[in-house]
Amino acid sequence: MSINTLELMDDYFHERDSSWEKYINQAVHEMVSTGIDLVSDGQTRDPFIQLFTRRLGGCRIRDRTEIVGPVEYRGPITVMDQKYVRSILPKKTGLLGVLTGPYTLTKSCVDLFYHDEKQLCFDFAVALRKEAEQLQEFVDVISIDEPFFSHGMPEFADELIGTITKHLSCPTRLHACGDVSGMVAQLVELPVDILSHEFKASPHLFDAFQEFPSSKNMCVGAVRSDDTCVEPVEEIISHIKKAFDIFGDRVVQIAPDCGQRLQPHDVAFQKLQRLVKAGAIINGR
Amino acid sequence: MFSFTHEQKVVEISGVHIGGQPGLHPTVLFGGVFFKGDPDFEDAKRHLQTLGELSKDTGVPVIPDFFIRKESFVESIIEFIEKTLPRHHPFSVDIIDPSIKIKTLEYLHEKKLLSRTIYNSIHIGSTKEEIETLTRHPPEAAIIVAFNPKDKSPDGKLEVLENGAHLTEKGLLTLAQEIGIKNILIDTAALAPGENSGAAIAAIPVIKEEYGLPTGCAIHNVVEKSIWLNEYPLVKKTVDVASNMNIPLFGGDYVIFGPIENVDFVVPLIAWQDILISEYAENYFGVVPDPSHPRRKLQR
Repeated sequence: MSINTLELMDDYFHERDSSWEKYINQAVHEMVSTGIDLVSDGQTRDPFIQLFTRRLGGCRIRDRTEIVGPVEYRGPITVMDQKYVRSILPKKTGLLGVLTGPYTLTKSCVDLFYHDEKQLCFDFAVALRKEAEQLQEFVDVISIDEPFFSHGMPEFADELIGTITKHLSCPTRLHACGDVSGMVAQLVELPVDILSHEFKASPHLFDAFQEFPSSKNMCVGAVRSDDTCVEPVEEIISHIKKAFDIFGDRVVQIAPDCGQRLQPHDVAFQKLQRLVKAGAIINGR
Repeated sequence: MFSFTHEQKVVEISGVHIGGQPGLHPTVLFGGVFFKGDPDFEDAKRHLQTLGELSKDTGVPVIPDFFIRKESFVESIIEFIEKTLPRHHPFSVDIIDPSIKIKTLEYLHEKKLLSRTIYNSIHIGSTKEEIETLTRHPPEAAIIVAFNPKDKSPDGKLEVLENGAHLTEKGLLTLAQEIGIKNILIDTAALAPGENSGAAIAAIPVIKEEYGLPTGCAIHNVVEKSIWLNEYPLVKKTVDVASNMNIPLFGGDYVIFGPIENVDFVVPLIAWQDILISEYAENYFGVVPDPSHPRRKLQR
C-alpha cells in the first residue's frame, strides 16, 4: 500500500493529526491473509536504517544518516507500532519484532563524530538493547537484521550482539542476508537462539553450515527476495526437505530469504502464499 | 542577527525582491484574501487599497495571497485580480485541492497572468496531474512547503526538500527545478504547539545557510492554534501580529501573516523590525540596505 501523501498534506492544511495505523493495518492484514504465522509490523514508516536513526539521539537524517553526537536512546522507536499490531493480530499469529543491527546501522551512517567504528557500534547496540527490553513485552521473537555481516563480520560481533540479547526473555534471531558462507564459523557462535539466512538464493550455504556443526535453531530462506519469479510449491518443498536433511528438527522457521519490499505487491503476496502451502504440506496439515 | 556564509539568492517577482542577506531587502509580506465564505470583492478591494498605501509609505512590500477554495471561484477571483491589482503587482494563489490548482493554472495561463503569479504551493502531496500542468504552465515563482510528517524538526524539513523523506520519488527542490520553477521560495511549515512549533522558526536560518533560498513561513498559524490564548482576546490579537517578527529576526525573507485585515498592524511592525535588523546588519556585516528599505523611507 503506497503512502497517501495528498492525505497527509490535507491533514497538515486542516490542522489534523495524521494516523499511520491504516498503513500498518494494511501490511499486517495482507501478511496474515497469506496464512503466515509469524508477522512483523511491515516497517511501513521508513526504510530500515532511518526507521531507527530518526529516533535516536546523535543522528541527523540527510541523504544518509549522519552521526553528529553521542548515539543515545530517546524513547520507544518501534514499540508503539508493535503494541498496535499485537492488538489487531489473530491470537494464533506470532509477532516478530525487528531491530536493524548495530553493525549495519554503523556501516550505513556517515560518522562525523566518533571516528571510532567499534565505539559507534556499541553505542548503537546499547540503544537497541533499551528498545529490545521494551519490545519483548509485546513480541514473540526479536530479530536483529545485520545484512552487512555478509560483507564481513567485526571481531567483536559476538559481544556486540550479546549487548542486545543478553538475558532477554523472548527468543532472539539474527538475520543476515547475502552470501554469508565465509562467516559461518562466527555466526554459529553468536548469542542468539535462531540464525536466519538466504538459503534459497545461496544454496551453497547448506554446505557451509555443514562444516560447522552447531545447536543453533535455523530460519531457512525458502523463496527468493531478489527474483520476481514465483517459486512452485514443489520446488519450495524440495528446498525445505534439504534443510531438514541437514539441520533436522533445528529448522524452526521457513521464511522468504529477506524482506519483500522491492518485490511487486502481487509477487510478494504469491511467494508468501506458496511458502505457507509448502509449509502446510511439510507439516502434514 | 544573522549573516549567512552560503551565497543568498534574491528572486525578483514582478518587481518585488525576496531574499538575500538579512538587512538587504525589506521583509516581504503575504496577506490572505478570501479566507472564508464566498469572496467579498468590495471588501477585498478596500483592503488592497490600504495594502498599497501602507506598502508605499513604509517600503514594506505586501503581496496579496488569494485563497481559492472552490472550483466555481476560480474565474471570478482571477478576473478580480486582473482588474483590481496594479498592472505589474505580483500575487499568490493559495489552493489546497489539486483539481482547483490545475484549473487555476490553466486560467492564469489563458489570462497571461503567470508572470506575476506565486504558486502556493508545491509539497509532498502534489499530484502527477498537478505537476504536469505546472510543467506546461510554470508560474513565475512557487512556494515549497517543507512539511515532513515523519520528522517535524529542521532536519526533517531539510530531508523533505533534499530527498522527499522516502515519501516522494525525489526531493521537493529537484521536483520544482524539473518543473521549471525559476524562483523558489521555501515555507518552513509552521505546526501547532506540541508539534515542534518552534522548528518552523529554527529552520529558517538552517535552510538559508544550506541552500541560500528565500525562506519564510506562516508563524501566525501557531498563535491561532494556541487555544489557551482565547482566554486573553486582546493579547491574542497582539501575539498574532507580533509573532511575525520572529521571521525576519531569524533571518527570514517573507512572512505569510494571515488575514489581510491585519495589514494595518503587521506592516508598521515589520517595518520597525526591518529597521532594527538593518542598522545592525550594516554596522556589523556591512550589508547596505536597498533604497526601497523601510530604514531609508522612515528613519530620518
